[in-house]
Amino acid sequence: MPTPKKRRRTPLQVVRGVRRRARRAAVGARRVWRRSLQLRVVTSTMVISIVVVVVLGVFLMQSIITTTLGARGHAAKSEAQADRKAVLGYLNHQDGDAAKQATEPGQAAQRGGDSPLGQAVAALAGRAGSRYSVIIRNESKPGEFYGSTNIDPASIPPRLHDEVLRKPADEEVTHYAPLRYKGRHDPVPGMVIGTRLDVSGTMLDDGYEIYHLVPLEEEERTLIAVRSMLILVGAALVLLLAAISSLVTRQVVTPVRLARQAAERLAAGHLDERLKVRGEDDLARLAGSFNEMAANLALKIHQLEELSHVQRQFVSDVSHELRTPLTTVRMAADLLYDAREDFDPMVARSAELMQNQLNRFEAMLADLLEISRYDAGAAELDVEPVDVRDVVLRAVADSEALAERHSTRFDLRLPSEPCMAEMDSRRVERILRNLLFNAIEHGEGRDVVVSVGADRDAVAVAVRDHGVGLKPGEENMVFDRFWRADPSRARTIGGTGLGLAISREDAMLHGGWLQAWGAYGEGSQFRLSLPRTAGAPLRGSPLPLVPPEVEMRRTWRGHMTPMLSPVVVDGGRDAG
Amino acid sequence: MRARRGGRLGAAVLTVMAVLTVWGAAACSVIPVGGRSPADGNVRKGNPLGDPYARVIAVPPNPGWSAEEVVTGFRAAMASVDDPGREVARQYLTDDFAGRWDPRSGVTVYKQGEPLAVQTGEKESRVTLRGTITAIIDQDGRYRPSGGPLNEPFTLVKEAKGWRISAAPQGLLLSEADAERAYLKVDLYFLDAEWRSLVVDQVRVPIDPASNFAKTTVERLLKGPSSSLDGAVRSAFDGTELIDVTTDSNRVVVNLTRRVAPDLVGAMSAQLAATLAELTKGGWGFEVRVGGEPYYTDNPLAIDAQEQATFDRWMTPGDIAPYYMADGALWLLGKEKTGRPVPGRAGERGARTSPAISADGQVAALAGGGRGVVVAPLADGGQWRQWVAGDSLTPPCWDRYRTLWTVNRVGDHISKVLRLQDGQRYEVSAPELETTSVRALKVARDGVHVAVVVKDSLGEQVKIGTVVGQGTATRITNLQLVVPSEGKQTIKDIAWKDGKSLYVLTGKSELLEASISAEPTSLASDSRIQSITALDGSLIAGAEEDDGGKQLLYWNSAKWEPLVKNEKGLSNFSRNGPSSPTYPLG
Repeated sequence: MPTPKKRRRTPLQVVRGVRRRARRAAVGARRVWRRSLQLRVVTSTMVISIVVVVVLGVFLMQSIITTTLGARGHAAKSEAQADRKAVLGYLNHQDGDAAKQATEPGQAAQRGGDSPLGQAVAALAGRAGSRYSVIIRNESKPGEFYGSTNIDPASIPPRLHDEVLRKPADEEVTHYAPLRYKGRHDPVPGMVIGTRLDVSGTMLDDGYEIYHLVPLEEEERTLIAVRSMLILVGAALVLLLAAISSLVTRQVVTPVRLARQAAERLAAGHLDERLKVRGEDDLARLAGSFNEMAANLALKIHQLEELSHVQRQFVSDVSHELRTPLTTVRMAADLLYDAREDFDPMVARSAELMQNQLNRFEAMLADLLEISRYDAGAAELDVEPVDVRDVVLRAVADSEALAERHSTRFDLRLPSEPCMAEMDSRRVERILRNLLFNAIEHGEGRDVVVSVGADRDAVAVAVRDHGVGLKPGEENMVFDRFWRADPSRARTIGGTGLGLAISREDAMLHGGWLQAWGAYGEGSQFRLSLPRTAGAPLRGSPLPLVPPEVEMRRTWRGHMTPMLSPVVVDGGRDAG
Repeated sequence: MRARRGGRLGAAVLTVMAVLTVWGAAACSVIPVGGRSPADGNVRKGNPLGDPYARVIAVPPNPGWSAEEVVTGFRAAMASVDDPGREVARQYLTDDFAGRWDPRSGVTVYKQGEPLAVQTGEKESRVTLRGTITAIIDQDGRYRPSGGPLNEPFTLVKEAKGWRISAAPQGLLLSEADAERAYLKVDLYFLDAEWRSLVVDQVRVPIDPASNFAKTTVERLLKGPSSSLDGAVRSAFDGTELIDVTTDSNRVVVNLTRRVAPDLVGAMSAQLAATLAELTKGGWGFEVRVGGEPYYTDNPLAIDAQEQATFDRWMTPGDIAPYYMADGALWLLGKEKTGRPVPGRAGERGARTSPAISADGQVAALAGGGRGVVVAPLADGGQWRQWVAGDSLTPPCWDRYRTLWTVNRVGDHISKVLRLQDGQRYEVSAPELETTSVRALKVARDGVHVAVVVKDSLGEQVKIGTVVGQGTATRITNLQLVVPSEGKQTIKDIAWKDGKSLYVLTGKSELLEASISAEPTSLASDSRIQSITALDGSLIAGAEEDDGGKQLLYWNSAKWEPLVKNEKGLSNFSRNGPSSPTYPLG
C-alpha cells in the first residue's frame, strides 16, 4: 500500500509504530535469548550469584551490626555502672555531711554552696568527655536535674522514662533513640541506658534516675563504610563470576558454534566443509565425527548424483534413439493411414488407432526431450516485453477447438489496460495452453474462467474450472511427472502426463510461481504468477489463489483460516 | 554439557569461599601481633572548643510542691543556661510579677549561710534566703567581688496551679557553684592605643549549650572590651561578626563575616591567639577564614600560637635578670647567681632607694628621702639627673612607653599623679586619687592597668584602675578595690605579676595575689620579706633578718629560697647584702 511521503502520521499511527518497534525488539531479544547458550549460562550464573551474595551480605551485615553495637553497648553499660557508683559516693558523702551538719547547727546547709549532684554530674561529664552524655534527675526534688555539656533532655524517650520508673532500682533499660544536642540541628543516632539509682542501705531518696546517652555516630559511620564496602565487593564478585562463566562458556560454545556454521555450510551444499580437530577432548571427538559424517554424506550424494545423471542421460539417449525408428514407423503408419479407406474396416480402425497412438508417442517423446533439457539445465529463456493479455488470447484461441469438442465455454476476465511483463512468450503460452487443456479435460463441460491480474511488480493468470476438483493433498501432486488423479480414467485428450511438470519448470525458470488450488466438488484453479521484470524476486501475486466466491462462502460459514493453509503451496509466501 | 560446566563453576566458587572461610576463621590474624599500630603518634590532647561541663536543666513547677520547694526550683531554674530569657523560671512567678521580673538586669552571686527560712500561711508564704553576697556580675560580664549580707525574701501566693512567687529580687540570684556552672571565665585580650601591647580583660560569659566555649569566647571578644577598659584599649575586630568556630586538622578555625583592615591582621592574630590560649592550652594553631573561604584569596591565614607569643614581648618575657640594691649601689644579677654593679653612676654607692628599671636601660630612684626622683642611664658614664622634685614622692615606676610615673603627696589628703616623658611633666587626671594619700603607684607591663595603694582612715588598701590617654590627656579611671583596708593594715609593697594579677605584701608580711575578678588569695609568706618584685612566673623578695642581715629570696613554687651568692659562693644573709629587688618595668 504505497502512501504519499508528505502525509502526516496520526497519533494512532505513531502509537502503532512504537508498538510495532517494541514488539520487534522483544522478538529480537527473545530470539537472541533462545539462540545464545552463552547468554543463558551467564544470566543464570549472575542471577544465582546475586541471590547468594545478597543472602550472605545481609547475614554478614547483620552480624557485624550486632557485634559492633553489642561491644559499644557493653562498654557503655560498664561505664554506666562505674558512674552509678561514683554518683552514689557523692550523694552518700553529702548525706554524711548533712548528718554532721545536723549535729552542728551553725554550719552552712550545703557544702561549698554546691549540691552534691551537681558535683557528681560535673565529675561524670569530665569522665565522659565526648564519648557519651549523662543526665541525672530526681523528679521528687526540685532543682535536682542536671545534664552534661549540651545534651538535650528531650533525647530521653518517654517510654524509657516510664520503664525506668516502673522497674526496680539498679535495673538497666536500654533503648535506641535519636539523640538531640543543643546547637546541633540534626539528631544523632544513639543508645540511651536508663537506671534508677540503687540507694538501699543509705538514707537517700530513691528517685534518682541516671541516663547515659551514648552517641553511635562513629559506629554508624563505620557500619555505613562497611556496608558500602560489602555492596562494592558483592557487585564486583557477581561481575567477576559472570565474567568467569562467560569465559568458561565461551570455551565450550565457540567450537559448538563453529560446528553449527560448518553444518549450515554443509547443508547449503558446500560438501567439502570440514572442522579443525584440536586435542582429544569431547569437542575434538565431536568434530571428528562431524567430519566423518560429512565425508560419508559427500560420497553418498556424489554417488546419487552420478546415478541420477546416468538415468537422465539414459532417458535423453533413449528418446533420441527412439526418434529415428519412430520416424520410419511414422512414415509407414502415415502410408497405412492414408490408404485406410482401401482396407477392411477392422484394419482401417487399427490404422487409425496406430496413427493416434503414434501422435501421442511423438508428443510424449517431445515432452521427454524437453524435460530432459530442464534436467540437464540446458533450458534458456528468450525474454522480451509482452502484453500478457495477448498471450492469453493466443492460448485461448489454440484451445478453442478442444473446447468446442467438450462444449466448454471460456469466460475471459481481462483488465482493460495492457499488462506488460518481461517473459518468454512461447513458454508462457505453452504453460497457459497446458492449463487450459487441463481445465477443459477436467471441466466436465462447464465454463472455464480465465482471469488476468496485474500490480506494480507482478502479473498473474488464473484458470478456473468447475470440475470434480482436487482432493486435499493433491495440489502439489498434480505437478508430478506422469501423475494422474484417477489412474483408471482414460486420457481423453491425449495428455502425456508431463504437461504440468513442464509448465512448472517453465514458471520456475521465469522466477514465478505456478500453484494449484482445488476442493472436491468445487473445481480447481491454477494460478501463474510472474514478475514484471525478468529476474526480480516475486513477493506476492495480484490474484488470489482461492477463487473469491469460494472464499466469500467460507467467510460466511465462519471458518476461514483453517481451510486456507493446506491450499497454499509455496510455503505460505503468498500470504501477503 | 551445561550441567558439567555449572559443576566446574560451582567448584570454583566453593574453592574461593572455602579459602575465604579458612582465612576469616583464622582469627589470630585479625589483630596483628606485632608492629606499629596505625593509631600511633601524638594525638592532641583535649578539645580546644571547650571541656565537658555539667549544667542545670530547668523544670517547670510541680503543682504539688510546697512553697520552699517552689523557691528551690526557681533558684535551679535561674541557674539553668538553656534559655537566656529564663522562660522556665518565669513559670514559677505569678503572671503579674513575671511581667516585671528582668533576669538580665544583673547577677548576684551569694553564699548561702543557713537553710531557707519559711513562714507558711494559708494564702501567702514567705521564704527568706540568707547568706553573704560574694560578687556581682554586671551586664557586660564584669565579675566584681563584693561583700555584705544577703537577706532576700520571696513572697509566694497560692494559685490554682500551686504556689507561685509574687515578689522576688530583680536579676538573677545564683549560688557560687551555680555561677561557676553558668558562666565561663574568659580572659579577653585587647590592644593598647599603640597596637603593641595585649591588655587582658577578665570577664564572665554566660555558657550557651547550643554553642561551644571557643565560639562563645570569640563572640564576646568581638563585642569589645568591658566597661572597665573603656577608652583605654582597642580591638582589631571592627564591625566583623563571627560565623562559627570549628576545628580542622589540628587547627582552630575562626570563621568571620568580614576581613579586618590589612595593617591590623597581626593585631587580630595576636588577640585571637592570646584569647583562645587558655582553651587550646597552646597545642593548637589557628586559622581565620572569611565566610568559609580562606582569608587571602590565594592562601589561608594560619596563625601559629608560638609565633604569636612574640607579639608583645612582655607577655612572655623569658629569662630576664633582676636588679637589686646592695651596699647603696644598683647591682644586676648575672649568671651563676652572682651579682655585679651596673655600669655608670647607678652602680656606685649612693643614698638612693626604690630603684625602677625602664625597658630601654634607664634607672629611676628616689633621692633625698622622697624629695626627688633621679634618673640615670645604665651605661658607662651614665650620670644621675633629677627629673622631679616634690614634697613627698612615691617610689617611681616606668611604663612600657618610657614614661616615668610618680605621685607627689602635697599633704595628707592631696596627691598629684605625675607622668614624665622625655623631660616633659604631665599631671595626670585622677579625680578619685586627688583627695587621698597615695602610698604607691605601679603601672602594669601592659601599659594600661595601674595599681595604687591608698591610705584611708581604716588603713591602706589596694585599687586597680585603668590608664587612658597619653600626655596631658592621661587619666586614671575605673579604680576598683581589690584588697580592702581592714584593721589598720599597711601595704609594704606591690608588684605586677602580669597584666591581671598583682602581688601585694602587707605590713604583716602577708603575701596576697590580687586581681580585679577574684577575691585576693593568700600565698606562703615569710615574715622577713620587706619588698617584692615579679615578672611573669618568677617572684623575688627582698628579706631582712632581725639582725639586719639582708638577702633576696625567690619563690620556687613550694618555698622561699635564698637567691644571691656572694663572692665565696655562699648565699648567706649579710648586713650589706642584697635588697630591694626589681625587674624591668616591675
